[in-house]
Amino acid sequence: MIDINDINKARELLAGQVLHTPTILSPALSNLTGAEVYLKLENQQVTGSFKVRGSYVRMSSLSEAERGAGVIAASAGNHAQGVGYHAQRLGIPAAIYMPANTPFTKVARTEALGATVILEGESVAESRILAMQAAEAEGKVFIHPYDDPHVIAGQGTATAELLEDVPDLDVIVVPIGGGGLAAGCCIAAAAHNPALEVVGAQADAYPSMYQAFKGEPPHGRGATIADGIAVKEPGEMTTPILKAHMNGVAVVTEADIERAVQVFVDVQRLIVEGSGAVPLALMLAERERFKGRKVGLMVSGGNIDSRLLSSVLMRGLVRDGRLAKLRITLIDMPGALAAVAGIIGDKGGNIVDVLHQRMFRDVPVKEADVDIAIETIDADHVREIMAALEAAGFGTRLLSDMR
Amino acid sequence: MDSLNSSEPPVFADVQDAARQLQGWARRTPLLENTILNDTLGFRLIVKPECLQRTGSFKFRGAFNKISRIPEDMRAGGVVAFSSGNHAQGVAAAASLMGMKSTIIMPSDAPKAKIANTKALGGTVVLYDRKTESREEIGERLQKEQGAVLVKPYDEPLIIAGQGTIGLEISEQVAEIDANPDAVIVPAGGGGLISGTALAISGTLACPVYSAEPEAYDDHKRSLEAGSRLPVPDGAESICDALLAPIPGELTFSLNSRLLAGGLSVSDDEVLMAMKTAMLSLKIVVEPGGAVALASALTQKIDLRGKIVVVVCSGGNADPEMLSRALSI
Repeated sequence: MIDINDINKARELLAGQVLHTPTILSPALSNLTGAEVYLKLENQQVTGSFKVRGSYVRMSSLSEAERGAGVIAASAGNHAQGVGYHAQRLGIPAAIYMPANTPFTKVARTEALGATVILEGESVAESRILAMQAAEAEGKVFIHPYDDPHVIAGQGTATAELLEDVPDLDVIVVPIGGGGLAAGCCIAAAAHNPALEVVGAQADAYPSMYQAFKGEPPHGRGATIADGIAVKEPGEMTTPILKAHMNGVAVVTEADIERAVQVFVDVQRLIVEGSGAVPLALMLAERERFKGRKVGLMVSGGNIDSRLLSSVLMRGLVRDGRLAKLRITLIDMPGALAAVAGIIGDKGGNIVDVLHQRMFRDVPVKEADVDIAIETIDADHVREIMAALEAAGFGTRLLSDMR
Repeated sequence: MDSLNSSEPPVFADVQDAARQLQGWARRTPLLENTILNDTLGFRLIVKPECLQRTGSFKFRGAFNKISRIPEDMRAGGVVAFSSGNHAQGVAAAASLMGMKSTIIMPSDAPKAKIANTKALGGTVVLYDRKTESREEIGERLQKEQGAVLVKPYDEPLIIAGQGTIGLEISEQVAEIDANPDAVIVPAGGGGLISGTALAISGTLACPVYSAEPEAYDDHKRSLEAGSRLPVPDGAESICDALLAPIPGELTFSLNSRLLAGGLSVSDDEVLMAMKTAMLSLKIVVEPGGAVALASALTQKIDLRGKIVVVVCSGGNADPEMLSRALSI
């Protein structure tokens, strides 16, 4: 059994090896949610996620002989970084298995930490099986991402720090993948104050723990923006801990998570990866549950791909009606396009792109479609512009995805 | 400082006084660093992220230091400020917290988002036509008719002292992590933030402080070299919308000319690269004007090899379009 003493020991071990990350009160998110919101910034942790905590505690427990033989892990993401970072610092050779189709940047980031990357397997789950077999065959220690008492105790130190910085929280919301961070959180929270609630949050594409709580078989699949917690099977060691302590597991949609990543940027000026934004996504989706309470959100990591982040931000503009694309039907006569531009300008819209194409479209020869991208203030502004165009006799359709 | 409207340059004790005034109101922003980035750079980079401050920039500090000292019997008249940017939001937020009205005078072509943000913080926005109206006249009328107190963006002792609390915090926080900085780099527009910060550093760490600016708006750099205030040439352009003051402030330059070790400048592309590094390595959102000091350090406008440098990232109010542009550079 893992208890608070293990977490306290892990904290002593970790002093000087990882950061005691800041916890900040967020007035802006508090206003938005009607709760008092504190953020535990593990996106500021070394390597950009909490994973360095558990990996260090596990590897520092190895004997001299085990260190000499080296370690093996399987991950294309934060666990790979966590293992690679400390293996290099401890002088332990590390081999990291990643699926064959892993993007080059992820491979390079792990190799930059001094680890050897082995690209084998179709999925992370398959790579993990290959890695465990290799560890067995080569006499090396396999560093499990969550089903390991050292790892769970290490991840628990994040919650211990949070509770040291803000002792009187009512509830902590923590993301769940395999459950290592969440299990450590439960143990630290229960020891601090048995009345303190811990709520787990998962992406609905990978609801393994949510289903374990309901006694259903896991069915996770597909792509998710929260790739850090895309785990198909709930952890063997972590599940009983969560079942014993956790006050519930909830799921959020991809749209909720994407929105939360955007809110972190817009409102809090923080970069948070999908899995780290899942707790905020849950708060925004279930406001009543948290209203008026003192809530700690475990912001577990900030490693988001730059292209993914960029598209979340641009899609956010479209969702909020700050960027809209209209398809407008023109009668093919001189001045029609100028009239349309005039109406949009009068209403305060700023045209950023025009596609006027009449040769290839399936429209009557006397008509023409024009697609116009405009910068606008909000959704009401878009509707106002569309109404003005319709009133002037120009058929107008919204092509972009506004809520 | 005796008077609400003193025109004497502030001294170190005024910054300490401002820190007491801001206690519990402004956020003590943390220091951030990324050890892996440090290894790559070959020096230790410590960031003071004022993008995490209330209203997303340092401007709240100075505004609150001034507005919270307005005596009870003058509060009914509210405050007035000219700004289309971060100062507007800082003033609106500080006034609202003090239960005062704020009127912010903005050009009618100001970005809609900034108008909306200022209103959301409780400010009343008055728009004027740049071509036909004078904002000073509108401001004077409000002062006369309503008894509103003018809150200037930088050339005012209480504003400078308020921004200087950043320097005090840096001094305390580097001591907590046993770091002894070799240099501090701070963005400069009108010069309020950097003069206050340099004042605080001069009384604590006593290490060199450098100003950072866009290449096209390097008026501090040139003025420091010349020893007198020089304006920005006509027609200059930069993506750093928060740093477009036409000339260093009088009061701020009287401090800066004495306290600064020199001026650094960076190109727009270097700013965008710094914004990208801030997002991907430091996990914070920094606006172009807020990123000039970081850009100066990352491109080593001064030799930093093996050294410890603190940079102030002064604000994070960037549009998603600008962030996307930085991410794709």
